[in-house]
Amino acid sequence: MKSRSQAVLPVLKGKKESRLIERGGSENADMSNQHYKRKRDLYPYSLLSPALIGATLIILVPMLFALGLSFMNYVLYRPQDHAFVALQNYRRALGDEIFWLSVRNTFIWVIGVIALQVLLGFITALFLNRRFWWRGIARSLILIPWVTPSVITALMWRFMLDGNTGVINDLLVRLGFLNEYVPWLARSSSALPSVMIALMWQGFPFFSVMILAGLQAIPQELYEVAEVDGAKVHQKFYRITLPLVMPILLTAVLLRTIWVANSLDIIFIMTGGGPGYSTYTLPLYSYIRAYSGLDFGYASTLAVYLTIILVMLIAAYVIRVMRTEDLH
Amino acid sequence: MKKLTMLLILAVVTGGLLFGAGAREEVQTVEFWYHLDDPEQNLDELIDLFEAENPDIRIDAVHVPWGSFHDDLITAVAAGNPPDAAQVKLWWQPQLVEMNALQPLDGYLADWDGYDDVLDDLWELTMHSDGNQYYLPLQMVILYMYYRVDVFDELGLEIPETKEAFLDVARTITEEKENMYGFGIRGARGGHDYWGSFVLSSGAEFFDDQGNVVLDSPEAVEANQWYIDLYHEHQVSPPTTPADGFVEVIDNMLTGRTAMTIHHIGSAQQMHNQFGEDISAFPVPAGTVDRWTSFGDEQTAILARDQATQDAAWKWISFLATAEYNQMWNDISGQVSINKSNEDVDYGDINRFLEATLDSTPFAQILPPHPRIAEFVESTWPAEMQRAFQGEITSEQMMRNLANHFRD
Repeated sequence: MKSRSQAVLPVLKGKKESRLIERGGSENADMSNQHYKRKRDLYPYSLLSPALIGATLIILVPMLFALGLSFMNYVLYRPQDHAFVALQNYRRALGDEIFWLSVRNTFIWVIGVIALQVLLGFITALFLNRRFWWRGIARSLILIPWVTPSVITALMWRFMLDGNTGVINDLLVRLGFLNEYVPWLARSSSALPSVMIALMWQGFPFFSVMILAGLQAIPQELYEVAEVDGAKVHQKFYRITLPLVMPILLTAVLLRTIWVANSLDIIFIMTGGGPGYSTYTLPLYSYIRAYSGLDFGYASTLAVYLTIILVMLIAAYVIRVMRTEDLH
Repeated sequence: MKKLTMLLILAVVTGGLLFGAGAREEVQTVEFWYHLDDPEQNLDELIDLFEAENPDIRIDAVHVPWGSFHDDLITAVAAGNPPDAAQVKLWWQPQLVEMNALQPLDGYLADWDGYDDVLDDLWELTMHSDGNQYYLPLQMVILYMYYRVDVFDELGLEIPETKEAFLDVARTITEEKENMYGFGIRGARGGHDYWGSFVLSSGAEFFDDQGNVVLDSPEAVEANQWYIDLYHEHQVSPPTTPADGFVEVIDNMLTGRTAMTIHHIGSAQQMHNQFGEDISAFPVPAGTVDRWTSFGDEQTAILARDQATQDAAWKWISFLATAEYNQMWNDISGQVSINKSNEDVDYGDINRFLEATLDSTPFAQILPPHPRIAEFVESTWPAEMQRAFQGEITSEQMMRNLANHFRD
């Protein structure tokens, strides 16, 4: 097939020839530009492709595999019974008492832990934002819980909360808050709050650091102007600090919500889900169904339900952020 | 000339490779998964002795943490990459058989000299319900009751023969001794052995003769209520009972928090080191029907698929089951040999615990060989027991839930 310049050239011979060649040259230049533009457009994708391929293999493929398993009867020790069962596992979960208990505990777990972490994180961030001579050391020390491995954190808190020899019982009895030792992890009423305190301790430095970064970005002039106008401390906090830290805080809350909702290591080590089912959360129930019951089909279904809940939360967050940006 | 030299070099290299490959093929490697409670112990000495006797076999021993042994093994089988041989528990057998993972040993056993030296009861206990022998006994772990001799002497108590007498003893200790409880109950994972000694000895059964689940029979509910009341009503065990696992139960005994608990000879040396002659053991008391204690077994099995590896694996596991080497294994693991010719071995300081073990042998039982028994032990029983201990569910609800676990 002839190109456009080749088709036109025979008709327009003579004195215009040189100009046509120039025009042809200019068309070639256009094509070359287009080629360059295409290449330039594809360049970022080529740079991203190793990461995308890696992420696809490591994240997307197992996710799709788990999604596929959730529609199957897939008990590991019964390979002859593996079969596609459509939505049977999903219906089974809706009638499963332990599933609903786990959903309830997951909400309590996430909301409770995040609320406690935000509160403690905010207090420590405000403290670390003040000037005092050992501020540098304090900013380093605050990170210790965050860098402590979950297994160590869980074991440490299990020992401290021990109903026979735990230091927390000892302190509370000595200080007169308790008459006798309390088996914190052996009672349904106190087991979940105890584990939540352990995770709160581990995760609050994340909020401290994030909020501290937000605090340092607030111009001092705003506080000076507020002072000139006679604003009180709480007014400065609610009118200046909180609104300006809020975008960072929301991002941190979203990230931690996903992490906390998915975390099961601390619960598993401290209580194993007990006593009874009092510390079962959805990821823990899914894990126990997979590795104790070897029922990978049902375990995958529970994981998909958790994903749906988290996706709904993230969607709500994204919609809220987009609306805020539209307003601006 | 150059061509000739090149050909010679090629011939030498090819020959070397072929001979090398041939030499490598002669050595058969057996991957063996095992577990010892004491992580500082290992099988090096046994492996050296075996490899000296069998220079054509190399043992690749892999220590697997007990907490994940079952999961790791089942997952490896499902992934088509199991070890060639492994240390196994009886309650895993139904799942492994269902996965077609185990090789029947009957052919090997027929020609094995050591067969008659293994305690006869063990062959019966370890045989699968399909009539095949997949497991080769390795060690005996029979549970008995530890008790504090000094506390019994001080309070003038007799060793209880029945569970009612046991309750009286436990209550007396709890009432008379400050900061001491009569009985340390394991309410967390692994506590089914304790439960079995009082409930399965008093009319509770998993299945009837027709294979129907009868775990929620009136007799079972009543026996279970008696067990719940030990903690809930009589409070003869510490308040931490629902969450107490192996570590807590042993620690409570070692620190004098409890005066009796159930375990096996594996912890005897530790108990003797702590209390000397002030601690001893007796067989668990009888229930309303008979006695029941857990045969907390350990066996070996072959999982290799090809004949050559199966043969090599058999040599290794049968080596571990012969008297001399089985005693060496049990010296390492702290358990009791499966061989008749080792029955008179002197256990020194802890001979009295060996006696309690052997006295318990006639009524040592295993849980029924059902594919869901592993999950029952791992998660269903602990959760339901903990709920019942706390009064969240009744004995009847607990037993119905346990029965439904096998009915689903």
